[in-house]
Amino acid sequence: MKTHWHILVVDDEEVMCESLAAWLREDGYSVDTASSGREAVEKAAQRDYAIYFVDLKMPGGLDGIETMMQIRRLHPEASIIIITAYATVDTAITAMKEGAQEYIVKPCNPEEISLLVSRIIKVKNLQRENTILRKKLLRHYCVQDIISKNPRMHEILQLCHEVSSLRSTVLIQGESGTGKEMIARAIHNAGDRASKPFVAVSCAALAETLLESELFGYEKGSFTGAAQRKAGKFEMADGGTIFLDEIGDISAKLQVDLLRVLQDRAFYRVGGSEEVRVDVRVVAATHVNLQEAVAEGKFRDDLFYRLNVIEIRLPALRERREDVPLLAQHFLERLSHELGKDVREISEGALKLLMDHNWPGNVRELENAVERAMVTSRGKTLEEEDFAFLTQNGASSKVPKFPAGMSLQDMERQLIVVTLERTGGNIKEASIVLGIDRSTLYEKIKKYEIPR
Amino acid sequence: MKYLYVGGLGREADREAMARIRERAAAEFPVPVREIELPGVEFAYDPGRGQYRSIEVLEMLAATCPADAYKLLGVTERDLFIPVLTFVYGQAQLDGRVAVVSMARLRQEYYGLPENREVFLERVLKEAMHETGHAFGLVHCADGDCAMSLSTNIRQIDRKRAAFCAACEGRLRRGSGE
Repeated sequence: MKTHWHILVVDDEEVMCESLAAWLREDGYSVDTASSGREAVEKAAQRDYAIYFVDLKMPGGLDGIETMMQIRRLHPEASIIIITAYATVDTAITAMKEGAQEYIVKPCNPEEISLLVSRIIKVKNLQRENTILRKKLLRHYCVQDIISKNPRMHEILQLCHEVSSLRSTVLIQGESGTGKEMIARAIHNAGDRASKPFVAVSCAALAETLLESELFGYEKGSFTGAAQRKAGKFEMADGGTIFLDEIGDISAKLQVDLLRVLQDRAFYRVGGSEEVRVDVRVVAATHVNLQEAVAEGKFRDDLFYRLNVIEIRLPALRERREDVPLLAQHFLERLSHELGKDVREISEGALKLLMDHNWPGNVRELENAVERAMVTSRGKTLEEEDFAFLTQNGASSKVPKFPAGMSLQDMERQLIVVTLERTGGNIKEASIVLGIDRSTLYEKIKKYEIPR
Repeated sequence: MKYLYVGGLGREADREAMARIRERAAAEFPVPVREIELPGVEFAYDPGRGQYRSIEVLEMLAATCPADAYKLLGVTERDLFIPVLTFVYGQAQLDGRVAVVSMARLRQEYYGLPENREVFLERVLKEAMHETGHAFGLVHCADGDCAMSLSTNIRQIDRKRAAFCAACEGRLRRGSGE
C-alpha cells in the first residue's frame, strides 16, 4: 500500500512544490510540502518520510545540501533526492558525498522520477518487512518474554542470561512440550551471537545416514543423488548456534562424530577429505534422562560430559502449576489476535480445571488446549465446558477410575500414582493427602515400583 | 442533477476525438455527460519551454466550471508541462472538480511515424478516462491493463485499456475513490 508511505517535497517555489506533490499523490502516496529548509527539518523532526525531494537552491536560511545534512542527522537512513535546475558535476558530487541517494535535474522525464520513486519504495518495503519479521522472531524468543512466576524457572532464566555470551555447550533436559527450543533460542538471542544464524535440527526425525549428511553436509558424488556439494547444518550455523534436539536418540557412530566436533570445532563433510572449521555454539536438548542412558551404556559418557557443561533442567508444567493461569492468559491474548476472535478472559471454573489438569504434554498441550477452546467457543469468556475435551479424553488424571474387578492393591497403586502426579512428585504433600506417613508412602512406592 | 462536462480547449480540438471521449465517458462514469465549449490555452504559454503550463490551465478550468458540473474535463491540442517534469499527458485535481488532457504527444506523427487515427483516438480515450478518474478520486492502479495504471511513456499508454479494472470501477461506483 503506497498510502503508508509519506513523501516530503521541499522547494521555495510553491508551483514547483505543489505540482510535484500533486503528481506523486496521483500515484497514491501521501505527500507533504515545505517551502524552506527550516520548515523541512521541522517536519522531518515530527515524521520520518520515506523519500525527501529537496531543491538544491533555496534562498536565505538553509540551502538544499544543508537541509539534507540536518535531515540526515535526524534520520541517518533517509532517502533524499536532490533536485536542481543547474546541473554541474561539482554540485552532483557534493550532494552524493553528503548522502543524497539520487540527484535529478529539472525538468526531468516523468519516467525517470517514477522509476526512481518505485525503486526506493520497493527497498523500503523490503526493509520494513525485514524489520517486522526480525522483531516478531525476537519477541517470541526473548528471555524476558518467557512467562513464569515459578522460582525455579526464574533461576533458569537468570542462568540463560549469564551463559548467553559464552561459547560453552548447554544441555537442556525436560519433558516434551516444556519449551526446550524456546530456551535455546532465548539463550541465542540474548547473547552476542544474536545477529548470526540459529539452526535447529531434530535428531529424532532423521535416519542415521540422513542425519549425518544433514549435520555435516556432503561432497559431490559422495552417494547416489549427491549431485553437488551441500553445506551441512554446522556450516550454516557458523558464527551462531546449532540446536540439536532429541540428542539422546543419535546413533553410536554419530555420537563419536559429534564428540569430535565438540572437541576440535572441526569436521569432514560426508565423502570429503577437507577439514571444515566452524565457530558454532552447541545447545542440545533431550526428553530422556541422559545420565541414565549413560549408566545403561546407551550414550557415551565422554559426549555426555562435553554436552553437559551448562545444565538446564526444565520443570514439567505440573511442577509449576502457578504458571498455568499466566500462560493460559498469554496464549488467549496472542491467539485472539492470530485467530481474529474476540475472546478476552477465562472463567474461574475453567481456570480451576486447567490448574487441576496434569498436562502430560506440558506448555505445548496447554497452548493447544486454549486454541481448541477458542476455536469452538462462542462467547468472550472461555468457560469450563469449552475445555470439556480435556476430561473427556481421559487426559486429565484428576479422578482415578476404579472399575469393578480391580484388586485393592491395583487401586492403591493407582491412587498413589495419581496423588503423586497432582503434587508434582512431592512426597510430603502426597503423604498428607493420602493420610499416611512419609515412610509408609516410600515403602509403597518401592513395593509397587512406581516410577518417580 | 450534476453533470460531467467534457470540452475541447479552443476550437482547434479534434472534434471526432471529443465526440468519442463523451461517448466513452458516459459509459465509464456514473454521471450524465454534457458537452461544453472552453477557451484556448494560449494564456498558459511558457516561451522558455515552448509548452503550456498545466497548472494554469487547471486553474482556468476551475474558474470556468459551471455550477451544475460534478466534474469538468478539458482537452487540448497543446503540449502541457509542470515545472519539475519535461511534459505531462494530462493533469487533474485528485478528487477535485477539474482535469485536463493533452493530445499533443498522442499522435503517431509526434514520434515521426505516419498518421494513424485509430491509434490516436484510442490513446485519447485512455488518457481522458485516466485523468477524469483522478478527478473522481482514483489513484494509480497496479493493474497494467486498467486505465488508471501510470503511463510515463507512449508504450505504457498503448498497453492499457480505455476502461477501468473491476477494483477501480467498484471504487468509482461507491463514489469514494478510496
